[in-house]
Amino acid sequence: MTLFEYVRPDDVTGAVDLVSADPGAAYLAGGTTQLDLLLKDGVIRSNRLVDIGRLPLRGITRDGDTLRVGALTTMDALAAEPVVAQRVPFVREALLAGASPQLRNMATIGGNLLQRTRCRYFRDSAVAACNKRVPGSGCAAVTGVARMHAILGASERCIALHASDLCVPLVALDVRVHLRGTDGERSVPLTEFYLPAGESPEIETVLRHGELITRVELPLLAPGTRSGYLKVRDRASYEFALTSAAAALVVDDGVITYARLALGGVGTVPWRARAAEAVLTGAPANVETFRAAAEAEIRDPFTVPGTEFKVELAKRTIVRVLRTVAGARP
Amino acid sequence: MSPVTVDAKLLGDPIDRVDGPLKVAGAAPYPSDVSYPGMAHAALVQSTIGAGTIIRIDAAAARSAPGVLTVITYENTPALPDGPMTILGPSPRFPFKDNRIVHYGQHVAMVVAETAEQAVAAARLVKAEYEPTTPVLGITNPDAPLEFDAWGMDSTRGDVEGALASAEVTYDETFTIAPETNNPLGLFATVARWEAGRLVVHESTQWPIMARQTLATVFELAEQDVRVFVPFIGGGFGAGLRFPPHAILTVLAARMLDRPVKVVLTRPQMFTSIGHRPETRQRLRIGVARDGRLLAIDHEATSTIGIEETNLEPVTMPTPNSYDCDNVATHERQVRLNIPNPGAMRGPGTTQGNFAVESALDEVAYRLRCDPIALRLHNYAEVQPGTGLPWSSKALRECYRVGAERFGWADRNPEVRSMRDGDWLIGYGMAGVTFDWYQAPCRARISIRRDGTAYARSAATDLGTGTYTIATQLTAQLLGLDLDRVRFDLGDSDLPLAPQSGGSGLAMSLSGALHQAAGNLLGAFLDAVADDAASPLRGRSPDDVTASGGRLHLVDDPSVGETYTDILDRHGLDELTADGAVDPKAEGAGMMPAGGFAARFVEVRVDEDLGVLRVARVVTAIDAGRILNEKTARSQVLGATVMGIGMSLLEQTEFDPGTGRVANATFGDYLIPVNADVPDLDVVFVGEPDRFSPVGIKGIGEIGIVGVAAAIANAVHHATGRRIRSLPITIEKLL
Repeated sequence: MTLFEYVRPDDVTGAVDLVSADPGAAYLAGGTTQLDLLLKDGVIRSNRLVDIGRLPLRGITRDGDTLRVGALTTMDALAAEPVVAQRVPFVREALLAGASPQLRNMATIGGNLLQRTRCRYFRDSAVAACNKRVPGSGCAAVTGVARMHAILGASERCIALHASDLCVPLVALDVRVHLRGTDGERSVPLTEFYLPAGESPEIETVLRHGELITRVELPLLAPGTRSGYLKVRDRASYEFALTSAAAALVVDDGVITYARLALGGVGTVPWRARAAEAVLTGAPANVETFRAAAEAEIRDPFTVPGTEFKVELAKRTIVRVLRTVAGARP
Repeated sequence: MSPVTVDAKLLGDPIDRVDGPLKVAGAAPYPSDVSYPGMAHAALVQSTIGAGTIIRIDAAAARSAPGVLTVITYENTPALPDGPMTILGPSPRFPFKDNRIVHYGQHVAMVVAETAEQAVAAARLVKAEYEPTTPVLGITNPDAPLEFDAWGMDSTRGDVEGALASAEVTYDETFTIAPETNNPLGLFATVARWEAGRLVVHESTQWPIMARQTLATVFELAEQDVRVFVPFIGGGFGAGLRFPPHAILTVLAARMLDRPVKVVLTRPQMFTSIGHRPETRQRLRIGVARDGRLLAIDHEATSTIGIEETNLEPVTMPTPNSYDCDNVATHERQVRLNIPNPGAMRGPGTTQGNFAVESALDEVAYRLRCDPIALRLHNYAEVQPGTGLPWSSKALRECYRVGAERFGWADRNPEVRSMRDGDWLIGYGMAGVTFDWYQAPCRARISIRRDGTAYARSAATDLGTGTYTIATQLTAQLLGLDLDRVRFDLGDSDLPLAPQSGGSGLAMSLSGALHQAAGNLLGAFLDAVADDAASPLRGRSPDDVTASGGRLHLVDDPSVGETYTDILDRHGLDELTADGAVDPKAEGAGMMPAGGFAARFVEVRVDEDLGVLRVARVVTAIDAGRILNEKTARSQVLGATVMGIGMSLLEQTEFDPGTGRVANATFGDYLIPVNADVPDLDVVFVGEPDRFSPVGIKGIGEIGIVGVAAAIANAVHHATGRRIRSLPITIEKLL
């Protein structure tokens, strides 16, 4: 039997201490995936699981143009917050495009940020080659059945996808993630929170052992900014994105004066599309501009048989979301 | 003797499921719910290579793990006789005979422990060392053994090549369909218990009699010493038609440990342990005259099969009977691969064959610039084409007419890309369906007790589709009893023999047996009062008597009669019992027994830029003869239509190209439709009671999936101008 200790502390400091003190301890966090990976798939091991469910990290407060969202706030609660619908509607759209209502009632914002990849080669410990699971062992997905896999930030070392919908508008917004460790609190931009797969795909975030996400700080879009989230998938609901895009635009007299764009379904991390933003800003809001932005962003994809179609699909997804948000004609 | 008549209505009352309250309350005992005191739990270890041999299995750590009772591998498995031959071929290969591995995910060890958790934990400790060889994978792999004329199913009539050569218009295309997995919601389970040399097994099977026969053969028991229970099963879709090796291992474990043992497959194991719809490639050649007359059809199908296994996959079987065409040839091939053996999955073969034929006819109709329905009507098979015999019933013409009306087919602009709503292109498509007749011997027994209740039974199964309900309903109707006075039992191999829930044949066979048993039972009551001066029915012929309101009475004068209870009371009988048995044979009937017919109409919407396909509505008109219960029949068709949408848009079992490992063996990765994928589904029943079937019914269990894929693909063509001959139609195929 895989025996482990289960602890459910009531305060953040106690939880942080419990995990920090023990290299074999882990938070019972990161959505449902932690238990699956530990108990069902046998992919990760922990001798102590610290349940953070009772920590006082729930709730949304507004401070001027910033929303402070506790890490244990549910997806459903954030989607129901009126100011989210008013000032960052693409966050609400992304929340509602993710998972299912039952899951959104339980799933938390912190858990969403830390959900692990769905790559079936990572999740099946009978597969030998997985650099994310066993550093240096190779990548079976590259020559396997790859479709729900990344084309940006990917390499022959790892093509595991970050599958979150919510994180796509969050990286577009420059959300900051607040972390608590034994040394106190620090915050990092979400765009820097995730590490490129690069040489060490097993290291996914800047989190140090024992560090806990306590909240995210979400800047609201300026009034008048339009935003939208588009998710493309075979199944009409309850499927991860093949491609997705979150866009926020201000169009003034036909010219784009503000542009934020991020992509999902294509990156090893939630993909902020800065190259596209550079093309968009100051350019006329038309389909030619949108296509140019898409071409600028999807310049150097890494594809394998099975993911090649995502190159064109991602570009078309960008064009469509920009067209929709800008209210431009096809 | 058959004095009773069934209701003349085409549509039986839509009564609620008689087992509904049990299911809603969670009280229906599925095999995975069964528990015995002292029961041990098993977990399976599966191979992690696709082909080769086991060099060594190190089970020492598992054996010494907490709670572990035994670890079974090929090394400590006694020699067991092979299972019997069935109509679906020899029993599946038993993987513990030797150290050979023939597919990834083959069972290599069974760990039995005090608790399920201990078994699962210990199973992870079993280490197998392999000498791998290169698995043979890929349906087009030239190294794969290819069987021709599988099951002797090749057929020819007329001169196909000659007719193709001289046809004014010819057609030659290839169709591919991904493998799919049945995925019944209920995880397959076995609970085995030996009781003083007698064996009791609770098994997720669609065929208790076959399960009993297999167990008797393998464990060298008399059949009466084996009892198989399956009062409920959480779906099967064909996966329960063969007896799987994990069930034999569970029985063996129970024998070795002398205590009850239970195994429940995990969802990933469901992909490798109980079959799947094989991958298929089909080449279809058609010759047609300018006026739309079909001159020749040549249908060649290739399906995948396990390297040392058998599977009946009649892809081309309905093709010769579907249309009036003088020259038809069919060719069935099977490619042997190192994959888990395929098996029956709802409408096996027929579903895939229909996709090719009905897509091709749509293409031919476009080439000839004629309406797809008109083309089908022009080649309508008024009689069964192979024999020239009249059909026992056929209302396919009415299916086309009624379906088209309800759908609004006449409003369709036949030009492709002619309908649009913003970014969505809209398309209409249709397909016809001819489903083969199948029936098998069946027995049933009915008793009427002194309290006026009836007890009917047969060793049939209810996959969740309504066998309990229709059998109760029909028995009540035949005996003139209220529904709540009738109990029907199934799912027990000690009951009278019944065939499998398969081939859409059970309802027909069972209803025939119940009909005969009811007739015999009424005859038995009349026999009892033949010399009974106290009975108003004394000396009456069965032809003059019928039953209603719990009474037997004269057909002509319902006031002359008496209750079952009166007769039993007067004669001091607790009950009277009678059997019925049917063994329907098409030979000599002077007609061709018909299966169901259907027409499917589909509207799709395609976002062409993004490759997104959504089904907007489906209209289905079905001729399945008399319908015993409109609600359960409709639900069968609705569920099968959803499954057809899954096959068309989403479902594909993906094998790793290097190993044959199923790469998407979870519900997170293997996509089936969710509610949002299921649009308005309209089902209408047409036709009349079938002449061959005793109660006028035809099977309806499978036909609901057939034709969905072709109608969708045809609608996609109408919407976009693109012809997709490969399922599922995923985004990358439409970009």
